[in-house]
Amino acid sequence: MIGAAPVAAVFFDGHTAQRHPVFVTVSRDGRGLMIDAQGPGGTPMLWPLDRLRSLADQARSDSLTLTLHSDTEDETPRDPARLVIEDPALQAWLRLSAPSLKKRDVRRGTATRILGRFALAVVSIGIIVFVLLPRMSDFLANRMPLETEIQFGDAVVNQMERFLGGRAGSLLCTDPQGNAALDRLVTRLTEGQEMAYDLKVSVLDHPMVNAFAAPGGRVVILRGLLDKSDTPGEVAAVLAHEIGHVEARDPTRLMLRAAGSAGIVSIVLGDVSGGTVIGILGDQLLQTSYTRAAEAQADAFAMAMLNRAAISSEGFGAFFDKLAEMDQIEIPEYFSSHPSSADRAERAKENARNQGVTKPALSEADWAALKTVCAP
Amino acid sequence: MSLNSGGIVRYSGQSGPIFKLAFVTGLLTLITAGIYRFWAKTRMRKYIWSSVSIDGDAFEYTGTGLEKLLGFLIAIVFLAVYLAGVQLILTFLGLGVMMQPGNELAIIASVYISFFAIVPFLLFAVYRARRYKLARTRLRGIRFGMDNAAWGYAWRAIGHYLLTGITLGALLPRQTFYLEKYMTDRSYYGDAKFEQGGRWQGLYAALKHVLIGLAIMILGAIVGGVMNAEALIGIAVFVGYFWFMIGFVYYRVHAYAYLANHKTLDGQVTFTATPSTAEIIKIVLVGGIVLGVVAAIAFGVLGGVVYGMAASGGMGMGMGPNIAQIVPIVILYLLILIGLGALGVVMITHPIIGHLATNLKVNNAEALGAVRQRAYDKGADAEGFADALDIGGAI
Repeated sequence: MIGAAPVAAVFFDGHTAQRHPVFVTVSRDGRGLMIDAQGPGGTPMLWPLDRLRSLADQARSDSLTLTLHSDTEDETPRDPARLVIEDPALQAWLRLSAPSLKKRDVRRGTATRILGRFALAVVSIGIIVFVLLPRMSDFLANRMPLETEIQFGDAVVNQMERFLGGRAGSLLCTDPQGNAALDRLVTRLTEGQEMAYDLKVSVLDHPMVNAFAAPGGRVVILRGLLDKSDTPGEVAAVLAHEIGHVEARDPTRLMLRAAGSAGIVSIVLGDVSGGTVIGILGDQLLQTSYTRAAEAQADAFAMAMLNRAAISSEGFGAFFDKLAEMDQIEIPEYFSSHPSSADRAERAKENARNQGVTKPALSEADWAALKTVCAP
Repeated sequence: MSLNSGGIVRYSGQSGPIFKLAFVTGLLTLITAGIYRFWAKTRMRKYIWSSVSIDGDAFEYTGTGLEKLLGFLIAIVFLAVYLAGVQLILTFLGLGVMMQPGNELAIIASVYISFFAIVPFLLFAVYRARRYKLARTRLRGIRFGMDNAAWGYAWRAIGHYLLTGITLGALLPRQTFYLEKYMTDRSYYGDAKFEQGGRWQGLYAALKHVLIGLAIMILGAIVGGVMNAEALIGIAVFVGYFWFMIGFVYYRVHAYAYLANHKTLDGQVTFTATPSTAEIIKIVLVGGIVLGVVAAIAFGVLGGVVYGMAASGGMGMGMGPNIAQIVPIVILYLLILIGLGALGVVMITHPIIGHLATNLKVNNAEALGAVRQRAYDKGADAEGFADALDIGGAI
């Protein structure tokens, strides 16, 4: 094309919407395009071939729109001027001769920018989940009306049953003698104390070794825990621990936090309707990940409760010993967030040595009845 | 030097390249677990924009996939904070996640509140998405643009929706007119400002077939009720409903035409839009039927393959289907979905854009030559909110 006749083209200067008819020739050294106004006046422009870029994904194959690589502030580093060439021969020559015609120019530091933005997103969500939400949950938990909490607790227990593979109410162990024995144990533990909630303790028929506190004064024991316990003192200890959580409003706090996290997950997964919210809540519940501080507090509360009720904390120790054994085989998620079982067993035994005269937590008959509370 | 050229709008999009582009970008989106969708949208827009030209000068789309991804990240964080707060407060009020039976009211209430809490952001996103699209559109090297006024739009839109709802739709033309006017009056081509003229009452003519459909349903029900003829009620409701739906398309097409015909740019350039409702309905119906038939055949064949594999004993008696058999079926299934999506663009979106473009004329187009460039709009979050809330479709 060097030395060929000037080719008519259209030039847009990037400053006005004026259409400039121009003549384009290849520069004498073959390394650029000379753009010359048709008609009188104007100085010719030189567009170097190596800075030429064509627009991508264009519909029209009969024309070629060129831009110039340039360090502008725009979304892409391109000069706002455009040169539209319809001449097939010049198009063909440019496609062969302009080395970076199809190059996508990426600004320096783009990768850093992407990483930075990703990091910022992750960090902000982390701050929300781990700092903001817990604070707000604490604030709101202390102000929640009691009826709402009770309603909430019922919903949580129902949901838990569904998670354990039953329908709402279907897993509840209903043996009257067993439940009476359980009530006596609760009375024994709470006697003469001012409780914030009317406690409602129930047993669900499931082999998992677990117990959890739900909002509004509900405590649920899973049958596996009764099976695993050798003395009523062990059950009394776990019960006292869960009552500790109830009194500290830990479950309500956790619920609020889970609901907030679920809101976040729903947007990240692109489901704004809130369907995911329910799913996540159940999962969070099974894990009942209270903070270590909350666990230690519940332990201290349980110890004091046992002391007042004159029940030996030996049972507490024995139960933790069992957990420590289980730790080596499998770590149930529920217990994984708790302080090390061995440490807790040690503390319970220490407490037991300083206890005065203690009485068994339940009579032989009541203990037998509690053990079979889920028997049909 | 300007030619007195008459402002003819042409559309040069072609089905083959569009299908190829939509299919390839759809495939890349799948492979990258959705991340490529920002680039997919960008490339589709580049193609469609460049297909439309005024007097031979094609539009140019200059948006980038990267800025869309980054904007999406911002929007996600923002919405996450907001939704976390909403859920927390709902739960505090005892509405949050009441999943026990007998508490359906609370569940419904919480779903509605969650939704309405999002509405302002949806409307905000609508405006932002349009502003971003305009800011990344160029003609003859000159940028379009729009003022930063998304919240004003969101609040006005909520007000209009409420008013339209309260009046059972009687003020729909008012809503359509003022919302479009709000956006148009804030739009620019270079330094030239768009202006929406006309009156909102002018849109009632476009609403006529919706009203006829309603009248047929109501009159049919009354007359049929008096005469105790159930068949008459049935026919009237069927015909009326059909008329109503078609009437709604008619409304949208004619409202668009009315609004376009009453827009001016810089007080000099005007537009003449003459779209045909029949043509648009034909495109949608034919496209819908073709899509349906293709989908039926494709999934039918796929179902036959699965059945054949099961019957030939590969998944027989007690043996679970093995991975080697499932993977190709899942891949085939996804390929069909991507193909159908691309076909939808080719059969519906592309012909409608083509129809609207070719039936638009720019009057006094030579005045465009005097327009000067406007400053670059950084548009910090691109259309991130629209992407995060999943509105706006493929293009």
